[in-house]
Amino acid sequence: MISLIEPIQLQDSLGDDGILFVRNNSIFDTMVKIPLLVASMIIVAALLPIQSSFSSPRDLDLIIYPDGSTHVSTKIDVDPFLTNYELNLFGSSIDNLVVVGNDEFLLESDIVENTIIIQTFGSSMIKIDYDIHDLVSKQGRFWTFSLDSPSDFTLLLPKNSAIIGMTNLPINMEIVNDQNQLTFSSGQTEIDYFFSTNTISNPIPDTENKIDYFLFAIISGIVVITAISIGIIIHKKQKNVKTVEPIQIIQKNQVANIETIFKLKPDLREDDKELVKFIFNNNGEALESELRKKFLQPRTTMWRAVKRLEREGIITIEKKDLQNLVKLRKNMEENE
Amino acid sequence: MKKLALFAIIVLIFGTVSPSLVNHAYGQNDPSILLRIAVQADKQIINQFNKIYENEIPNNINILYDKGHRAVKSLDQSLSNNDIEKAKQDFLLAMNSFMQISRIISQSSEKSVEVNVSVKSNQTLESKIDRLEKFVQTLESISTKHKIDQNKDKFTKAYSLIKEIRNQINSNQNPSENTNELNNLINSIKKEIRNSIAEKQSNAIKNFFEKFLVQIDQKLMEAKNLGRDQIKIDKSNELILEIRELLSKNQINDAKKVYSELQVVLKDIGISVKIT
Repeated sequence: MISLIEPIQLQDSLGDDGILFVRNNSIFDTMVKIPLLVASMIIVAALLPIQSSFSSPRDLDLIIYPDGSTHVSTKIDVDPFLTNYELNLFGSSIDNLVVVGNDEFLLESDIVENTIIIQTFGSSMIKIDYDIHDLVSKQGRFWTFSLDSPSDFTLLLPKNSAIIGMTNLPINMEIVNDQNQLTFSSGQTEIDYFFSTNTISNPIPDTENKIDYFLFAIISGIVVITAISIGIIIHKKQKNVKTVEPIQIIQKNQVANIETIFKLKPDLREDDKELVKFIFNNNGEALESELRKKFLQPRTTMWRAVKRLEREGIITIEKKDLQNLVKLRKNMEENE
Repeated sequence: MKKLALFAIIVLIFGTVSPSLVNHAYGQNDPSILLRIAVQADKQIINQFNKIYENEIPNNINILYDKGHRAVKSLDQSLSNNDIEKAKQDFLLAMNSFMQISRIISQSSEKSVEVNVSVKSNQTLESKIDRLEKFVQTLESISTKHKIDQNKDKFTKAYSLIKEIRNQINSNQNPSENTNELNNLINSIKKEIRNSIAEKQSNAIKNFFEKFLVQIDQKLMEAKNLGRDQIKIDKSNELILEIRELLSKNQINDAKKVYSELQVVLKDIGISVKIT
């Protein structure tokens, strides 16, 4: 693959009537600047996690005790520039409340019915732990857990509990200390369970670790295949580039001329045109100090002139032995 | 350069897409979990039937059970066919049927269920101790983070009391004395934590206020230029001065109270208290 855009000065289709024909091999390159695309994607990639995490529960974990009381533990990202954060609790019978902010600072809070107002004062994350007695009810020997959750949550059921009904699909299940731990998505969830010493009420065997490894293997496989593919593509490209390089150089040297540059930049200042001519006649490059000596210009004036030409896309500035080496660009219109 | 940029694009695309791929995979999970839960529930229902009804299962319950049991079989079939959407429907149908059965059973057998008072109270006591232990662990984590050495012995004592209370519950002894002692100890730990981190916490709040008040100062200037209510702007400035004075005297709680007053005045002027 050769360069996708052929410089205009390399075109041999300039007709006698002065119409400029531009052969464009890739509309994508013309319309979309690659650096701009990269920058946009970096911004998008950076914003995605912020968008999804800000001011919403990061974690919500619940533990049901044998008497139906429930421990709630939640972490929430909050705006550090707010003084207070208001949160709806899952009920009003709250015990053992602890609210901590960044660096495990205890935060002051007031509970009004089901709402807690926390004085965050600069905390960007708050962790709330409390026990609640409103989430589980009991009828006969059957217990019912009921929650309308604002986010995904994990639920650790008591030991020896057996699930006999459920209104929502669990998205994960594992065994923690011989107890079933289920993960649910946000929304209304109801679970009926009861306690049994019967052997069949033993926790449901966990295969989640195997699944994790499987997922991990799939993702690793994709990464490896992608890396290998990229490597092969780059390698092939390098091979192709090597073979066409001499032709390209010959073409560029053959047609690069000062007239084309001035035609492309008709508004160029006269003194700048002189500079360009000098650089062109000096095999396309010159030290900034040489330009100063040649045109008898002060350092700052010459520096501004050189920067002006660089902005116009006519030259590039490189460092050589702590000096600025000014070079004429070979493919000017790529920046047009 | 172009190659580098293209490579960067590929990496970024993969980086952007891969988290959603992982989430997607997590959301889809292992569908066989559904079958295992449903089969267990089915077995539990049968077990309940054997205990409660022996061979005389009421017709309405039988119909519900058939519906649920068929859904479990269908779930198994759907999973074999790799029809995940159907499997989800089957799962919900089965679990809903079993849930209805359990509710009918609990309503009808409520009077006949013998409640062992001792077992029930032990269960409650054990849960209470579980909750207190969790609370102590949370406080210990905070205490350790802030290196509050004064609490170390108290935590040792707390865990020892928890162990003792558990033993008393298991041997049907009254643990109320130890429970009271544990509650007092927990209160003492909380007080110690508050006292120990009070200075650090005050400094953090002072720093926050400093940044915040500077922003409010600027917004009041803007409000003045926009010709907003001068009396309220003056009132706000007075309150800001008062807050700064209280902070300099380390009267944090009073500063917070004045700040609440300031918030109301700022709202009247039309200034958002959130720094943008």
